[in-house]
Amino acid sequence: MNFITNYKSIFFLTLIVLLPLSCNKDVGSNETLYPLIPTNVDANAGTWKPMFLTSNSQVAVPVPVAVTTPAYQSELTTIKNFQSLLTSGKRKSIEYWSGGGVLRWNQIFRELVARYSLPPAPLSNGTYIFPDADNPFADPQFPFANPPYAARAYSYVSVAMYDALKAAWYYKYLYNRQAPYQVDNAITPLMPQVTIPAYPSEEAVMAGVAQTILSSLFPAAVEEITLKAGEQRNAALWSGKAAPSDISAGLALGKAVAQLFLTRASGDGMKNAIGTPDQWKAFQDTATKHGQIPWLSLDVPARPPMLPFFGNVKAWMMTPADIVNVRPPTPPSTSSSEMQSQVSEVKYFSSNLTRERQGIVLKWADGAGTYTPPGHWNDIAEEYIRDAKFSEVRAARAFALINVAMHDAAVACWHTKYYYFNPRPTQMDPSIKTGTGIPNFPSYVSGHSTFSFAASTVLSYLFPSAQNNYESMANEASLSRLYGAIHYRIDIEAGSDLGKNVGAFTVSFAQSDGAN
Amino acid sequence: MKIVKLLGLLGIILTHQLKAQTLSDGLMMPKKDLCTGFLYSTDSWKNYWEGTLKRDNMNLGTVTTTSATWVGSYGLTEKINLIAMVPYVWTRASSGTLHPMQGVQDLTFGGKYRFFKKEFQNSSLKTFAALSFSLPLTNYTPDFLPLSIGLSSKTVAVRINSVYTLAKNWYTGISGAYIFRSNVTLDRPSYYTDGQLFLTNEVAMPNQFQFFGNIGYKKNNWQVEINYNQQNTLGGGDIRRQDMPFASNRMNFAKIGINGAYYFPYPKGLAAHATASYTVAGRNVGQSTMYTAGLLYIIHFKKEIQTN
Repeated sequence: MNFITNYKSIFFLTLIVLLPLSCNKDVGSNETLYPLIPTNVDANAGTWKPMFLTSNSQVAVPVPVAVTTPAYQSELTTIKNFQSLLTSGKRKSIEYWSGGGVLRWNQIFRELVARYSLPPAPLSNGTYIFPDADNPFADPQFPFANPPYAARAYSYVSVAMYDALKAAWYYKYLYNRQAPYQVDNAITPLMPQVTIPAYPSEEAVMAGVAQTILSSLFPAAVEEITLKAGEQRNAALWSGKAAPSDISAGLALGKAVAQLFLTRASGDGMKNAIGTPDQWKAFQDTATKHGQIPWLSLDVPARPPMLPFFGNVKAWMMTPADIVNVRPPTPPSTSSSEMQSQVSEVKYFSSNLTRERQGIVLKWADGAGTYTPPGHWNDIAEEYIRDAKFSEVRAARAFALINVAMHDAAVACWHTKYYYFNPRPTQMDPSIKTGTGIPNFPSYVSGHSTFSFAASTVLSYLFPSAQNNYESMANEASLSRLYGAIHYRIDIEAGSDLGKNVGAFTVSFAQSDGAN
Repeated sequence: MKIVKLLGLLGIILTHQLKAQTLSDGLMMPKKDLCTGFLYSTDSWKNYWEGTLKRDNMNLGTVTTTSATWVGSYGLTEKINLIAMVPYVWTRASSGTLHPMQGVQDLTFGGKYRFFKKEFQNSSLKTFAALSFSLPLTNYTPDFLPLSIGLSSKTVAVRINSVYTLAKNWYTGISGAYIFRSNVTLDRPSYYTDGQLFLTNEVAMPNQFQFFGNIGYKKNNWQVEINYNQQNTLGGGDIRRQDMPFASNRMNFAKIGINGAYYFPYPKGLAAHATASYTVAGRNVGQSTMYTAGLLYIIHFKKEIQTN
């Protein structure tokens, strides 16, 4: 009887001990950001070279009223009223945006891309319909933020934000108006105190850019984008960092700059990137005419190729001639013994998918439903930018440079893929099973390799002490595609070289943009 | 009665989240009896629920999960049984290019305690509490669904079972379980689920509730039962349109099944077992049909001891 009673107690004791342990399952959804106090305010950023604007004063910002005027004094009263009514929710918003607006918006873009990077489902008759920008809530949702779409999206938001912030810096130091908390001691600074002139508000500039461009790229998310943008402006207001007139000037500047970018976007060639069935057939015919096995979609049912004319989309740092000039050399013929040995190597990795290699495949897969490879490199860059304690404008520069390079990488890579129209390993040998989904576009050259080496080249320029780390990540990301049996080694080698070449164009811009 | 004891070890083996009916039923091994054996099962589905939308996927075709499971149950006392099992799992898709997976999955280890027993004239009522744990024995990934061999979460399950036996031949039981699940770790630094991007490799696994009910009849060397098995995941996101399943999805199902057992007259202590089950409703799971066959054997370590 004793025996049983003991077991009974052990049983319930174990229960009591284990239950609370198993309940602790909180996971942080975001990478932590700390209140941003930049090591350098970059007072001369108004003289840095724009990436797209003709000058940092291209969009006019009117002279602000003096802080001594009754109009401004009544703005201060408004702020004091807000500060007397701060809820914990509003304090949370202030804290959230204190982590740095550029870093926050970068996290938000990545979330949007991850939400929208899903391909359309096939219809029951085996065909697909394309996402419709004018009906974004439908099935399929708009957009399908695949890697080229995402690369372009990241670049537009990042470059527009950077150019708009340089313009903001130009006017800030032109007009030199202080922040409300500096003018009036009764206003408590609730964001880190950084002595940067307040007019126009950089938070409002970012909000205006992000709201305008993101709503155009992700129209179905307009509500939450607008709320986030509004929250950022309010955080600046409630924190005593910006007066209503600082904010309205910033918002107007941000939106005006964003409009210039949207005009560029409407004519950058993206509209024609899908092409027509006749054009898709022409790729096949060209490859066949050259005696090559043309690429075929391995999706069931076969899916139209992903953005076959993305290679004609306008790049940021490269001319169309540059894109042709950096195109990797012709791959071995699909009927050559050299190609056979490439296929055999892929087959080896398919048959020997060790747990270690599978981990590398999954780490870098960044496929459907994720923030994509360009998003992964933004994720990598984020920690370096955060830890460097860059000013908002310098953080924007870093993201702009990385994303410009990755957009150009997408253009050059897609140009190459559809120029050669090479089949995937599994098309050459159907017994090759893959450790991740096979992307629906030609094989040569690897997009992961091109993106990764373009990003690592720019990151190495920005943070030279971490160069080895970036290069080893780029190598691992590239090889993950061979381990996953979806790319040949030649795709990876040529893609890596292409990425480095493309990245060099951006580095060369950065070397002479006045920010060093 | 021995057939009944054997049957206690058998039953529903869920492929991705293994548990045995033995933890959910009302059957006990006598003190110092060990029942052990192997079960072989095959589970396959062509249609699945993407959230609540039922569909097929020609890039997967039919997904088949095969498992070979060692099971053991030991009578520590008349009132306490210890139960353990380890499956080896193979997965494959009949269409598309995804790589098949295989490996040793999770160890489940638990105990069942009979804390209430009441005999009536022609019937009896027994109630049990069971506590079990599971943990992955290998470093398999939960991030290759639907071909991952498991979800790799460590679990603690608490169960209450009640069994009513009528006139020797008929029995019926119900069982409810609450399953605590530990976070799992992915190889990647971010993932999107349930409307949110998570910038971490750690995934919170919502807890689960399970319900099991059966009605059975036993006579001579034969036993047959029908059962109902339901799982509700208490949280988690749906599979998005045209996305792949994810470890923390809200995986719910209701299955109906039939079990049969035959107790061999010779050699004494050997039993054969077969089950079939079919998923009648689900969310974020395949509409699977599963068949299991197994052989079990009872070893009496101290049969001379009078245990009553």
